[in-house]
Amino acid sequence: MTSASARVVSRAARFSRLNTLWPWLCAASVALSLLMLGALLTLLLVRGLGHFWPATLEEVTLSSGETFAGHAVREVPLPQQEGDERLYFTGNQDIEGARWRWVAIEQIVERAQPTDLIRIDRSPWGDFIGHLVAIEQGDQRWAGDAAWQQLTALLALPASQRQAGQLLLTTVDGQTLRQPLANVASAQAPNTMAWRQKTYAWGEGVWRFLSEGPRAANTHGGVWPAIFGTVLMVILMSVIVTPFGVLAAIYLNEIAHQGRLTRLVRIGVRNLAGVPSIVYGVFGLGVFVYGIGGSLDEWFFSDTLPSPTFGTGGLLWASLTLALLTLPVVIVATEEGLARIPEAQREGAVALGATRLEMLTRIVLPMAAPAMLTGVILAVARAAGEVAPLMLVGVAKLAPQMPIDGEFPYLHLERKFMHLGYHLFDTAFHGEDVQAAIPLVYATALLLVLIVLMLNITAIFLRHYLSRQRGNEC
Amino acid sequence: MNTPVHTLLTQASPLPLKRFLLRWMVIILALVAPLASGQPAAISGTLGAVGSDTMAGLMLRWGETLTTRHPDVTLQFQASGSASAPPALMAGTTRLGPMSRPMTADERDNFIERYGYPPLELKVARDALIVVVHRHNPLRALTRQQVDAIFSTSRACGGETPIRRWEQLPATRDWSFGRIALHGRNLASGTHGLFQERALCDGQFRSDISEHPGSSAVVAAVGESANAMGYAGFNHLTPAVHAVSLYNDDGTAVPPDEAAIQNGDYPLSRYLYLYVNLPPGETLPPAEEALLALILSDEGQQIARASGFVPLTTDVLNAQQIQ
Amino acid sequence: MTPPRLTSARQPLRLLQDRVATGLITAGGVGVLLAILAIGIFLVWEALPLLAIGDTLALAKLSPLAWGTLKAALAALLFAIPVALGAAIYSALFMSPRLRTRIKPALEMMEAVPGVVVGFIAGLILAPWVERHLTSALVLIIWLPLSAGLAGLLWQLAKTRLRRRLPLSWAGLWLVPWLVFMVAIALWLAPWFEQQWLGGDLRHLLDQRFGIDYATRNAMIVGIAMGFAVIPSIYSLAEDALADVPASLIEGAQALGASRWQALWKVALTAAGPGIFSAVMIGAGRAVGETMIVLMASGNTALFSASPFEGMRSMAAAIAIELPEASPGGQTYHLLILAALVLFIFTFLVNTLAEVVRQRLRRRYRQMGGIS
Repeated sequence: MTSASARVVSRAARFSRLNTLWPWLCAASVALSLLMLGALLTLLLVRGLGHFWPATLEEVTLSSGETFAGHAVREVPLPQQEGDERLYFTGNQDIEGARWRWVAIEQIVERAQPTDLIRIDRSPWGDFIGHLVAIEQGDQRWAGDAAWQQLTALLALPASQRQAGQLLLTTVDGQTLRQPLANVASAQAPNTMAWRQKTYAWGEGVWRFLSEGPRAANTHGGVWPAIFGTVLMVILMSVIVTPFGVLAAIYLNEIAHQGRLTRLVRIGVRNLAGVPSIVYGVFGLGVFVYGIGGSLDEWFFSDTLPSPTFGTGGLLWASLTLALLTLPVVIVATEEGLARIPEAQREGAVALGATRLEMLTRIVLPMAAPAMLTGVILAVARAAGEVAPLMLVGVAKLAPQMPIDGEFPYLHLERKFMHLGYHLFDTAFHGEDVQAAIPLVYATALLLVLIVLMLNITAIFLRHYLSRQRGNEC
Repeated sequence: MNTPVHTLLTQASPLPLKRFLLRWMVIILALVAPLASGQPAAISGTLGAVGSDTMAGLMLRWGETLTTRHPDVTLQFQASGSASAPPALMAGTTRLGPMSRPMTADERDNFIERYGYPPLELKVARDALIVVVHRHNPLRALTRQQVDAIFSTSRACGGETPIRRWEQLPATRDWSFGRIALHGRNLASGTHGLFQERALCDGQFRSDISEHPGSSAVVAAVGESANAMGYAGFNHLTPAVHAVSLYNDDGTAVPPDEAAIQNGDYPLSRYLYLYVNLPPGETLPPAEEALLALILSDEGQQIARASGFVPLTTDVLNAQQIQ
Repeated sequence: MTPPRLTSARQPLRLLQDRVATGLITAGGVGVLLAILAIGIFLVWEALPLLAIGDTLALAKLSPLAWGTLKAALAALLFAIPVALGAAIYSALFMSPRLRTRIKPALEMMEAVPGVVVGFIAGLILAPWVERHLTSALVLIIWLPLSAGLAGLLWQLAKTRLRRRLPLSWAGLWLVPWLVFMVAIALWLAPWFEQQWLGGDLRHLLDQRFGIDYATRNAMIVGIAMGFAVIPSIYSLAEDALADVPASLIEGAQALGASRWQALWKVALTAAGPGIFSAVMIGAGRAVGETMIVLMASGNTALFSASPFEGMRSMAAAIAIELPEASPGGQTYHLLILAALVLFIFTFLVNTLAEVVRQRLRRRYRQMGGIS
């Protein structure tokens, strides 16, 4: 009897020791999630920002005697063989026909870093990597070191003050190229740069990425039109969604009879937040673009038919679709804010003779304002990161015309626009050369994530502040 | 660059004297101004084009080159597929319609019905569809029956057995990567349709082909995995992949290189077109004029080459410049 | 209406204003609700022609897409449910409150990462890496849970002083470097493991021995990527449900002689069960409708295959690529709208179920709290 009970106890003890491992698995889930999030953000940060750091240029000699210049990008193992191969970015697309080169590492005989290797960013061909032989400007000609000094001096001037001229360039394997000075955006000799100069160049690169439009068929340049398009679309969307969301919330919470129907409607609204965004996109395309837009075209723009004005995706339809998509977010957040206001406040106002309108505008809405703001910020955060519905209702691969310009009526709601998220998708999948675009895709992804995270963090702080304030009141 | 402007402008038909003189003044200005100031003549205006997405990058490059020369020219390109060009041309929203295939008889008839004259058809470059494999894959050439047997279920081109594994191809008997992983374009793209028509003899695609939303995504996917094969546009060829030769009708393996695509020996090659709405006897606005001149110049053709397409032969170029 | 007691000239105006404003608000509110309702009506209306004809061929085209959608969602849930629930259990029941206020928003941040970014990383970075290092990836999947258990065992064997310095309530944080270390070890050992036990090349082995094909972009990749996107929504709701379990229940169970873990497992989990269920439902809804991740990481092959190493095509992805090119009124157009309708109905039902369960649960807790 005693031995049996002892056996039970020991089994239970073993069991409990095994049981104590469960909390560790659970703790590891938290750790794993944090690790994944951290890894994703670190990857984006390192690759997104690292792209702008001036990379050291190498002159590589192969066992076949061939030489080329470039910078190493990554290494992968060779299939079915021992050893690795390395990818070099070599630039010179107009000379070589390609910007990349895969080399088996064992074929590399020598890797040198000559100080006179330079990298020139030109349009439309992107980077040139090689040597600068001379600059010709009118009758004048500089060669050697003087040429480099002249080039940096020239590039320091604003583009309008530069005199026309030509660069005489050679690649490391001896091909020559004449490059008109007008198409040169910048020049670097990274192998001679001190880290301070590199930091400066890095900052400049980041700034250019943020402030310029895309060049060379979206493989170079910046994302300014995409930032502008995203922000404009989001602003228009919040202008539409805020009044309607707040109206609906006030109606549901303050005016509607709190019966079974209202409860059902409330559940319905809440559930719409879980409906896939692509469904809203389909709705936007079918109703806004083809339905309303098509009719508008028939009534007002019939002279340009069959080419559509409003009957195709555009800024207005995209903002409307996203407004519909984020409507539940605003309604739910505002309702939460309204529900938190003590009933006594309302009753007090009414007891003092205020009408319902006065009670709402003087007492209830000011108190619920932070909640509404939280809702709008959350809506903006969701809209800024949403891509799928936009693919149906008006985003463009490249829209050189901004939706706002000096032409009447200044804001062109029918125009297509660029969007950061779609730009990311497009450069990663539709571009000319995915490999060339990937650093820019990283940078774009980082920018997008930063924008969305900032908005979310603002909303979280606001909500936190709100709940603390409420804690003090009650 | 000035010569083509000249030739294009003087495509003559009887004109009132006033316009004739005006035109000559424009030409003289265009010729003299650069000499006088060392700067090209100021041309301004909006360049609009609606059409093929294959040619989007190419049109952008041409446009960019033009805008660096004439900063007052603004570009407005819409690339939503070749099929969108004819309606836009007919509606008059654009005068330039880039297309990666010739207009069908219907599209042309509709245009003539609307305007009373045919659109001006310019061949602007040559392109091809390529079958790509991983850069280390030893496969070098395929017959059309093999391509069909690999990509289709119908084998309408006459292959005997479906080819699923690398071992079934003689060149890759020792390439131990098992099944061929297939990559291609999505249903809506012109590349998908053209490959179906020309390489599968209008047969049916297999259902296990990964359908990518862009040609460059196909090439990138093939470049990443050693057991992959895919089809894409020639301009998307990168050093990460290898384009295999195809056997043409007289039994020689033709690599998809510039010469073979240029003279049409490579079986899956095609022209790229630019359709222009140009009433007979009238001239185009200066911005369009300059773009056409650029495209048909040596410089424009070099731009096409560097964009990954194949320049036209000088015969074709000359014929069109005279036209 | 009672006559106004204060005779003021403004009084009728005020009342009129009030009435007009109430009318406007009502109109606005009802209008918004109708607009929302319109989504459903529009989808049904546009899909009707197809359903009315009963076009079986068209419906047959939809079935691989439906299968692909389910497969992608299942793969995502397979990864997300254990991780999200584990994290929820830990942070609701074990974690130190100070850490919890920091960690919870951090994990909810995961939800804010846009799908297009996750899809890009999964499709263009993760998928090729996993293809090249398949063994390492599979070893990692098995090795990580084991290493967590290993951490627990070591901790129990460790000296009290160390245990006090690294308490369980902070383990969510200090296990991160441990996991990094374990990942490094796994990556270092995997090639050796492949050489010794799997004949040098796992993919070759899979192909030759089992006839299993490996596609670069497959259900496993989609599962991991979409799991990442779904974890925060499941975690957040399940954590709320667990944290709301009245403390009296757990204390009561412990007073009756249950161990802490037993009390949690048997009592807290059972009590919060409906809440956890609704969390999983919401996660499922999100996984079914996610577009960009599947579009970029799945390979888009319309296959009927259950293999985790093969791709799929989901309805949402098909809508996103094909609909802009489909001419309105055509068969493809109606078919894709039907797909959207299916997505809409499915997610709406799943979410309603989850919401109803959650509300019922909340009422039950309130009653329990009232009794104790």
